[in-house]
Amino acid sequence: MAERQIDQAGPSSLVSIDQVIHAPARLTVLTYLYVVESADFVFLKNMTGLTWGNLSTHLSRLEEAGYVTIEKEFRGKKPHTMVRLTDKGRAAFREYKHNMQQVLDDLPD
Amino acid sequence: MSQRISLKEAERKTFTSAYQDGLWDILIGCIILEFAIAPFLSRSLGDLWSSVVFLPFWALVALAIWLTRRYVVTPRVGVVKFGSWRRTRLTRFTVIMLLVNLVAFVLGILAAANFATWPSWAPVACLSLTMLAGFSLAAYLLNFTRLYVYGILFALSPLVGQWLYVHLKAPHHGFPITFGITAGTAILVGLVKFVHLLRDYPLPVEESPSQGAYGG
Repeated sequence: MAERQIDQAGPSSLVSIDQVIHAPARLTVLTYLYVVESADFVFLKNMTGLTWGNLSTHLSRLEEAGYVTIEKEFRGKKPHTMVRLTDKGRAAFREYKHNMQQVLDDLPD
Repeated sequence: MSQRISLKEAERKTFTSAYQDGLWDILIGCIILEFAIAPFLSRSLGDLWSSVVFLPFWALVALAIWLTRRYVVTPRVGVVKFGSWRRTRLTRFTVIMLLVNLVAFVLGILAAANFATWPSWAPVACLSLTMLAGFSLAAYLLNFTRLYVYGILFALSPLVGQWLYVHLKAPHHGFPITFGITAGTAILVGLVKFVHLLRDYPLPVEESPSQGAYGG
């Protein structure tokens, strides 16, 4: 994955930083999804402060990476979208957290 | 989108968002209201029926709150299913609340059985302490800090009421005044919270599948 290898010239631990997660908006979305079982689109929009368009785009990117599943249903005539972190997404988020910790720990004071 | 991200804070914020609509406050206030109004009814209905008569009132309030949450709050704030850690904590909360109520029930039986031998302040103090313990535990387990305030107000209500009765000859042991203030405070806070929610979370207008890939 090209995005994952973006920082070849930097410190070696930076290479391992998952660029799909590293974007602030996607990191915020994943943070909320990490601490719950699932949430709908409206809830995520309120929590993250993103616009509908932005949230849609970032969720599509996360879905492409296999980090979230998006289940769309209709409640009456209204669309309702539930978003859930996949096992792969959960593992990737944990790894991201670990790697970021390492990167920051490696920095000199 | 400039807030700091902390997993613990995110989880807490997610969970406490469930209490920001003020509906729990209104329900609690309506339950406490019984203690303020029941003394007026006890003379004509008796102690038991003056309390029982509130059951349909609570059922109506609970139904109104459920409908409001479903049709007014949820479309504005969205839906979230909590993780296993929080569900375990909620189970623990339910068990502890059952135990607190059991203790309150036993104390009530003891107070009723030994009413003549107990000093007059003892049943009131028991009720206050049990309620304070119950509200405080609930506040801690649910991260619902307003419950500490309601617990203190609720615990003080019978004590202050008794004081008003002894010193100022307030009718019905002062309960209509003290519990009325406690219930009124909870209901007022709930209403303010609810109005804030309506103002801060307008109905999403772009809720259409044609706008955005996941317009939900």
